Amino acid sequence: MEILLQLVFSGIALGMIYAVIAFGYQLTFATSGTLNFGQGESLMLGALVGLSLVGSIHGGPYMNYWLMIPLVILFGGLQGVVVEWIAVRPAIKIKSEFGWIMSTIAMAIIFKNVAENIWGKDDLTFPSPLSAQPFQIFGANVQPMQIVVIVGALAIMLAVELFNRKSIYGKAVVATSNDRDAAGLMGINTSMVITFSYALSSATAAFAGVLVAPLTLTGATMGSSLGLKAFAVAIIGGLTSGVGAIVGGLILGIAETLTGFYVSTGYKEVPGLVLLLLVLAIKPAGLFGKTAIKKV
Amino acid sequence: MNKKTLALSVIGIAALGLFPVFMHNPYYLHLAETILIYAILLFGLDIVVGYTGQVSLGHAGLFGIGSYTTGVLYLKLGLPILLALPASIVVAAVFGAVMALPALRVTGPYLAMVTLAFGTITQILINEMSFLTEGPMGIQITKPGWFGQKMDETTFFYLVAVLMVVALIVVHRILRSHLGRAFQALRDSPIASDCMGVSVYRYKVYAFVISAALAGLAGSLYAYSEQYISPNTYNFELTILFLLAVIMGGRKSRIGSLIGAFIVVMLPSLLADIDLFRQISTAAAVIAVIGAVIALVQKRKTAREIVVPVVATIGMALFSYKLENITDWRLTIFGLMTLFVVYYLQDGIVGFVSAMFGKGPRHLIAQSGAQAVDESLAIANAGGERVGVLLSARQLLMQFGGLKALNHVDLQIAQGTVHGLIGPNGSGKSTMMNVLTGIYKPTDGVVEFAGRVISGTTPSAIALGGVARTFQNVQLFGEMTATENVLVGLHSTFRSNVFDAMLHTPRYLREERAARERAASILHFVGLSDLANEEARNLPYGKQRLLEIGRALGLNPQLLLLDEPAAGLTAPDIKELIAIIRKIREHGITIILIEHHMDVVMSLCDTVTVLDFGQKICEGKPAAVQADPKVIEAYLGGSVSEELSGAAHPVATA
Repeated sequence: MEILLQLVFSGIALGMIYAVIAFGYQLTFATSGTLNFGQGESLMLGALVGLSLVGSIHGGPYMNYWLMIPLVILFGGLQGVVVEWIAVRPAIKIKSEFGWIMSTIAMAIIFKNVAENIWGKDDLTFPSPLSAQPFQIFGANVQPMQIVVIVGALAIMLAVELFNRKSIYGKAVVATSNDRDAAGLMGINTSMVITFSYALSSATAAFAGVLVAPLTLTGATMGSSLGLKAFAVAIIGGLTSGVGAIVGGLILGIAETLTGFYVSTGYKEVPGLVLLLLVLAIKPAGLFGKTAIKKV
Repeated sequence: MNKKTLALSVIGIAALGLFPVFMHNPYYLHLAETILIYAILLFGLDIVVGYTGQVSLGHAGLFGIGSYTTGVLYLKLGLPILLALPASIVVAAVFGAVMALPALRVTGPYLAMVTLAFGTITQILINEMSFLTEGPMGIQITKPGWFGQKMDETTFFYLVAVLMVVALIVVHRILRSHLGRAFQALRDSPIASDCMGVSVYRYKVYAFVISAALAGLAGSLYAYSEQYISPNTYNFELTILFLLAVIMGGRKSRIGSLIGAFIVVMLPSLLADIDLFRQISTAAAVIAVIGAVIALVQKRKTAREIVVPVVATIGMALFSYKLENITDWRLTIFGLMTLFVVYYLQDGIVGFVSAMFGKGPRHLIAQSGAQAVDESLAIANAGGERVGVLLSARQLLMQFGGLKALNHVDLQIAQGTVHGLIGPNGSGKSTMMNVLTGIYKPTDGVVEFAGRVISGTTPSAIALGGVARTFQNVQLFGEMTATENVLVGLHSTFRSNVFDAMLHTPRYLREERAARERAASILHFVGLSDLANEEARNLPYGKQRLLEIGRALGLNPQLLLLDEPAAGLTAPDIKELIAIIRKIREHGITIILIEHHMDVVMSLCDTVTVLDFGQKICEGKPAAVQADPKVIEAYLGGSVSEELSGAAHPVATA
């Protein structure tokens, strides 16, 4: 029983990471109808840059974990701008779906390869800012960092939501999501809003990277599968629903830790991907998404 | 086949045949073999990517399934190649169908992710199912047997070469047949394909299955060629490599696939040699600068457009001199190439070269006008002047959220008449069209056509049942010629299956000839004979509308729905259109006409129904309807008494 509960707790922590990345997919999909297939690589870069700042691999540590977070978020934002500028904007201009899918994938490959060359191919350990000493909840061991992950993930999603709902800039984002052309006619610089949404999306992913890094190994290959599974989460929850991302994340996170423990760690990626295929076959708009009516 | 293609094929086959005679180095022989194997897979991938326009990130997985089917059958059962090869094809094809099934309901980025998930699962399963696949250890395979002894490298090369040529011919034939046209049609306009009786779902699955079968064949050959397979080969990078090859060589082209295969196989060897890479990137930078200067002088491009590629190539050249070890940066270079191809070489090398020589994409040329066009072929008579109700809609309700776009509407269409459907913008006319053709499923109510209930069935089933339509915003298959557009309409006249198309059986040849004759006569009927070989997207707007009508006639409809056919047409075009509609009616085809040009409606229609806010407000002879006060009010507004009930309805989109 304790083991099950413990697995559920780590599943929740992992699920919240998925939720944050999925949330990032939703941000760019809302404004531009495009996704960054390299979202996982944004996370990976965030984690590795964070590691360089707080770890000793590049002559550090330069600062402590908490000070590093804003810098990593800033870096993530810039990285998102680069992705949007090189890979997405030209594709939107020529209205080529194939174009942005391929070019964001190409960017992801480049980022991964560059990271391999800078940080090496092996996984590194990320120094934990809190003690690794677990405490007990209902008899199950919980690491303090897991709590930080859950709180941090919820906080950043809440912050972005508040920004979108309350600030005038956020309203521009929402307006662009609803109708890009109409927003453009109302004087909103929609291409700037799209760039901004990419910055926001990569920044949240980078933040998720430094959150998850102390719990797992950090390395150039950590992003790809996280990115793919977070996409599954975004689909399961629905690409238009923030709550869907959280619920989807939790379902997947828990399913994965349970499979990893009770079946085999080799298979732990499988349930999420199977779930993705099932949801797409049965309700493509996701559990919480609205079905779009096609106009002729 | 014309003389040039024939000559090219002879040279190509001769080159393949002579290659091992002059090339004894087993390393190069093996490379050439790999190129041919990749080409087989790329032919298949091109069907999905180039023709149906979907992104598949699962082809490395299918390739792996092909390899492992052969590997496992060899290892566990010791089956010979004659059984293992077909088994690989079948198993991969089955998995292709499995991959396409969830993909039925999704497109674009969703489909890309589904296929990516599929590829990832495949790799995990191969890795984990050690009892079958030996897991990460991989499987050793020996070259297949041949008259009691093992094949040597040269014999196997010939086997691969023969299979590649066979695959090329088969794929080429399929893509030139009605199946290939269906694939292209669903890329250009899925909705129009459905309404031409070409089920988008079914043909998407066909495309995936054929594509997967080729991947299976390639995978099996690859296993024999490498003599060792392991799960790591079939990873995400291989998928991207395949996609890069297809777009770099050129979509919708077999030569493009061959060029693409050549490039991606040679790429690692090129990148292994740093000096060669430096020379190539320097040359590329020089070419880019010269090209940019020429483009600037000729004012074909602005400075802004060329700054990115020029800076990128120069940067790459400088970078190459700083590098010491290139293999570490292989993937970065590979990513940069992908970006370059996606934005600056969209039509691939084949497209680029043919654009330089001023040739568009090649299409099968329709028969010349020399042969007498039999116009009676154009329309099969839909039956005489039987008086009766052809289509009846009862109490149709179509609700979008709280909005009732159609509010309990009854509609009876008498056989052999032209029935006008008019009303102000947002009155529900187009919604009615979409309900009748099955694009929307009505919230409530029944549509009966020729005595059968059709509401609730699929658009393609309704189309095949004899209801054809045109679209308010023209939905032609842009990259196909006028003739090919009509041929898609004639899709239902084909009984041939994929094997008929592959083998060019007499049945297929007969049907293709008949369809082409009919297409020519239909084009003559709508006055487009001289534009038969023009791509639809290049036709003037008025001609596009006529072509849509022609395409719809291909279905042999009993009922033809025309959605604002005169919109945007010039006065002489409208005259021509009226004459054509009259001719169609004379053949006994019943027509429903949505139109805003009142002169067109008044001169053509036998009966007119007026919709307003989703309700039928009037029906009758054109003159009577025109004089009805309720109709005048709906169009011009006015009378106070009705304003209350009018304002209560929100306005629907047209």
